[in-house]
Amino acid sequence: MQGTIPARAGIGLRFPHHQAVIAQRPRVAWFEVHSENYLGGGAAIRDLETVRRDYPVSLHGVGLSLGGADGLDVAHLGRIVRLAERIEPGLVSEHLSWSVSAGHYLGDLLPLPLTEEALDVVCNNVDHFQEAMGCRILLENPSNYLQYRHSTIPESEFLGMVAQRTGCGILCDVNNIFVNAANHGWDADAYLDALPPDDVKELHLAGHAEKSLSNGAVILIDDHGSQVDAAVWQLFGKAVQRFGRLPTLIEWDTNIPPLQALLEQANRAAAILLQPHRALPRADVA
Amino acid sequence: MLPPFCCSRTGLCRVPTLRDIQRDVARSLLMPGDGAALAHIANDVIDTAERFDIYRNNVAMTLVGALRLAYPVVDKLVGSDFFDGAARTFVARHPPRSACLDDYGGEFPGFLAAFPAAAALAYLADVAQLEWTVNTALHAPDTPALRPDALTDLAAGEHGRVRFVPHPSVHLLPVRYPADAIWRAVLDGDAAALGGIAVKIEPNWLIVQRQASGIAVARLDEDEATWSNLLFSGVALGEIMPDEESARFVALLADHLASGRFAGFDAASGDGV
Repeated sequence: MQGTIPARAGIGLRFPHHQAVIAQRPRVAWFEVHSENYLGGGAAIRDLETVRRDYPVSLHGVGLSLGGADGLDVAHLGRIVRLAERIEPGLVSEHLSWSVSAGHYLGDLLPLPLTEEALDVVCNNVDHFQEAMGCRILLENPSNYLQYRHSTIPESEFLGMVAQRTGCGILCDVNNIFVNAANHGWDADAYLDALPPDDVKELHLAGHAEKSLSNGAVILIDDHGSQVDAAVWQLFGKAVQRFGRLPTLIEWDTNIPPLQALLEQANRAAAILLQPHRALPRADVA
Repeated sequence: MLPPFCCSRTGLCRVPTLRDIQRDVARSLLMPGDGAALAHIANDVIDTAERFDIYRNNVAMTLVGALRLAYPVVDKLVGSDFFDGAARTFVARHPPRSACLDDYGGEFPGFLAAFPAAAALAYLADVAQLEWTVNTALHAPDTPALRPDALTDLAAGEHGRVRFVPHPSVHLLPVRYPADAIWRAVLDGDAAALGGIAVKIEPNWLIVQRQASGIAVARLDEDEATWSNLLFSGVALGEIMPDEESARFVALLADHLASGRFAGFDAASGDGV
């Protein structure tokens, strides 16, 4: 696969920035897009092909439903494969979540009960995805607002087991770990320590919001609608110490500011990536 | 619902399968008031219903948002509160069948036509159908258009056998109301033009197409629509060419060719059909 993603800072490319990126060709190492936004013809994919001529691009899926008990939607999978043939991405990733049941797409990354049964389902679906793509994919830890009564496996261990059984890599979203730690009382540092360091191949950063609930409790919402929180930058530093220098993405999906704001966040991530850490230098992801 | 003997204290509960849980969660997300999912959620200091409502809201925001992207003029015509209400009812009845949300909402015009609260706006379903056609054209596959001079190499005797393949972004749409004028005035924010439209039944054919500069919508008269339907269905030129009005037919064909409304043609002699 061509177009290796460098172990530097990139930004999530969204529609409001297409023209600015094409016109200005900003100094940023790479872009990541949501695959589902580029499955048809017309202006969107034409813009992405233009951007791709100048930058490495990563395809990040939000609709394949790798945790779906019914297996993958082969028609949707086929469209993702054809998009990858057209864009030649440097990385392909998806989420540890589900979004399709009985043929209905629900429009959100929904939490999985973390059980042995779900582990088998996810591994089968990841195998199917990787066979269709002909490459290793990365699986991202999701943000969650609830846990199931029947879950038996801690999420970090679940991800490690999927990586071990399928050979996929892990996309470690640092903000999601922070959000889940706050929402469920997890220990964020222990979560990072439990991930198998050699399988982590990309990092994500984004902003989150606080929502007050009726009993006065506060829950964190992973809305990608603001700057990266100070505590998340701190956790990112620990992630870089543990996993080494990796492709790192700034995501901003709601209340999208001018491109410059994303570039500033990417520069901040780039500075942290350059600090001395455990595993200097780390090879780029193939 | 869990059976009455099923209780986490006794440990006798059957552990639900992943498919069971996903069916329950999907139903509770889409159906207001359905609480089947709540039985699967771990209890803690935060009410399980309040946790689940975060997902309900996310799902509604995403799917209603996808409809609003496809139907911006309907949204403006009815107002955002009305649109939200209609779209939420639609989402519960017609959840997406694909994770590609560009393809979501094709049944919305039919839903609006039968939606009692929108009955006073007789033209709304026509405008919605035009917006869906525009949305479909916007995301149609990138197929090169047939060159306007593509037929010049044919021998004169071959023209009658030509069967065209329409460009995938081209659609013909019958409407009963002046949906194109309403659509254009709302998109342009032109209140004067909107106020000047006589909203009366006036059956018409529209031709919608994605061009390099954007979406083009034009009107066809009845003959032009009939000929275009035949051309886009792959009927051979020789079978469509009228004995009378041939100059108008040739002008229409020239316009289709010049506007890139065909993707290709076939002039094989075939079996004479």
